[in-house]
Amino acid sequence: MTEYVDAGRAVGQASLSGLAGIAPPVVQDVTYERILQARSEPQNWLTYYGTYDGQRYSPLDQINTENVKRLAPAWVFQSGSAGLHAGPSTYSFEAAPIVVDGIMFVSGWDGFVWAIDGRTGQELWRYKHAIPYDTSLCCGNVNRGVAVAKGKVFVVTLNAHVIALDATNGELVWDVTYGDVRAGESATVAPLVVKDMVVVGSSGGEFGVRGHLDAFELDTGRHVWRCYTVPKPGERGSETWPDGPAWTRGGGNCWVTGTFDPELNLMYWGTGNPAPDFDGGIREGDNLYTDSVIAVDPDNGEIRWHYQYNPHDLWDYDSTMEHILFELDGRKLLAHFDKNGYFFVLDRTNGELVRVSPFVDRITWGEIDPNGKVTPKIYPEKEGEEVHFWPGPAGGKEWTHAAYSPRTQLCYVPVQDVGASVTRRRREFKESIPYWGASVTVDSDDMAGSVSAFDPSNGNEVWRWRNDVPMCGSVLATGGDLVFAGEPTGEFNAFDARTGELLWQFQTGCGHHSSPTTYSIDGRQYLAVPLGWGAWVEGFLPGMLGAPHGDALFAFALPQE
Amino acid sequence: MRPMATAEDLSALVSKLGLDKQNKATLGRLIAHGNLGYAEEGADGRMHAQIRIPPDELVWDPAILVLPHGGDLDLEIFNDDQNTHCALFPSNGDSQFIWLPIHSRGTAALNLGGPGYYWYSSPIGNDEGRGLIGAIVVLGDVPQQARLDRPDQPRP
Repeated sequence: MTEYVDAGRAVGQASLSGLAGIAPPVVQDVTYERILQARSEPQNWLTYYGTYDGQRYSPLDQINTENVKRLAPAWVFQSGSAGLHAGPSTYSFEAAPIVVDGIMFVSGWDGFVWAIDGRTGQELWRYKHAIPYDTSLCCGNVNRGVAVAKGKVFVVTLNAHVIALDATNGELVWDVTYGDVRAGESATVAPLVVKDMVVVGSSGGEFGVRGHLDAFELDTGRHVWRCYTVPKPGERGSETWPDGPAWTRGGGNCWVTGTFDPELNLMYWGTGNPAPDFDGGIREGDNLYTDSVIAVDPDNGEIRWHYQYNPHDLWDYDSTMEHILFELDGRKLLAHFDKNGYFFVLDRTNGELVRVSPFVDRITWGEIDPNGKVTPKIYPEKEGEEVHFWPGPAGGKEWTHAAYSPRTQLCYVPVQDVGASVTRRRREFKESIPYWGASVTVDSDDMAGSVSAFDPSNGNEVWRWRNDVPMCGSVLATGGDLVFAGEPTGEFNAFDARTGELLWQFQTGCGHHSSPTTYSIDGRQYLAVPLGWGAWVEGFLPGMLGAPHGDALFAFALPQE
Repeated sequence: MRPMATAEDLSALVSKLGLDKQNKATLGRLIAHGNLGYAEEGADGRMHAQIRIPPDELVWDPAILVLPHGGDLDLEIFNDDQNTHCALFPSNGDSQFIWLPIHSRGTAALNLGGPGYYWYSSPIGNDEGRGLIGAIVVLGDVPQQARLDRPDQPRP
């Protein structure tokens, strides 16, 4: 028998990285009640949007319009990689970092989760979920972040698991599969903790799946409820689908995190486009509940009301992006910037339209009148005949988020002004194969972008900071009357929230396609900015497909005395 | 114009051109032109398999390891080559790394969560570029409770 040298047993790669391996038990005391009051502890960023209302606003004001010009990097976390894992041409850092009492929890693109010291950037622990390389993904290898509560970190994986990790060491607590990769399902959403549950949506509309929301018990991972966003025959809304199999492939995925009003006990989740994206001929009808906001009872997953922004969508105008909750003259409202280029304000108690107005200059696909009546004008109607429309399938605003400042009472939105050519190409449905029903080419020139401020009380634009290319990163508003937004060309910018004046800029070396957050430790305010450029650039800005990818997370702060 | 190779005769053509050996038509070996092997499932539900690095080939053998389903896999790894290599395997929780000195044997315990294929490699030097890339293919479906409530759909 051959004698071999004993090579021993394989070890976790993290043990060869110099990380600490353990984090303080800061998440142990994060409860639902504490997340409800998240705004009362502005030193932390406890849930995806910072608070349940989705405002992406922090009252922190140490960094303000007077001193922001002194802002400088405090540390940089290089997420890095070794060996082969993600699709190398499509990864992107798209998360919103969560921060609890000085410890940051953030996810990467390929089943990665890290705990990081928010003061120094030191890696404390990491978790890596093994992701099948061949997972069907319409829009790259991405993950939008984690949720935390009761000592655990919750995250979804690209192969549609939801997992809970011990927040002190990153070890797996529970792991539940909630989507079918063979059917083209995947998962990219940042989970939302509501009461004793973690709520997640599914991805995969571009592969003809049936979208759903799911709730799981925080402690055990027990499945509590599922809410399908495409009704089957006999269910409410099924009359908006034709007879036949169209409903089984209807899309409508909730792949961006919802918001929550605890007083009304309603969650507001946006739903994705119907499938096939562009071929409406085989799904006649309004196709509920696609391209809608659905108000969902968190206790049982039932849809209480809905508002459909794009009935019978023919342009890939998902409505998954945030629904910002705010009050005006004592009325409970929500604000939504849709991919179709219109800014909606709804009464969030019942879904009644309050006002609708355009927020991007070029809108040619159709028109929405002040009463919400939708009139399509240009769409891929005839087989093989190319049409061109604005905004393109990426939308006047992509999934990246707007913000609302209660100080200025303005909404701040990253605007994408880019069109596309689309030719209907009908195809047979098969599981896990892209099901668009069209050939799509997004414009590589004649484009523009902006960060624009809108007054939700009248729908008017208050200021605009113009850019040569679309703005594709989330906006953050702060109590220092600042608005932060990153550019596709790498600059991270601070604007005066009242005037739009550019006050500060730092070149990070890579395009922005994520959600910056802010926090403070021992009285020092930081801005955390994940970077990454690669996922679905062909869909929203093909003119920058050759730009560097990047995989770093910057933290900025004012210099210490 | 030369005829295109079909899938059936591709391996033979690759071999004829020397694309499956070091320093023939290319400096190294084209990926995915090693052997295919199967993991075996034990009575305890754990799967077992062996992989090797043959001398002077810079290829995993098998280069494609097929698992009947997701779960726990115990691997025995042999380096029969006259050079030091390593292995980096996918596994839920953390990638598993092992040094493989000349003529060595080691083990790894992996957990993979579902259908699809996963890369493994030797991420030192340019081992990956020269051929030490393999795939672990997990067969089967996701659990019944994770599937969509709809009639069976056509698959490719």
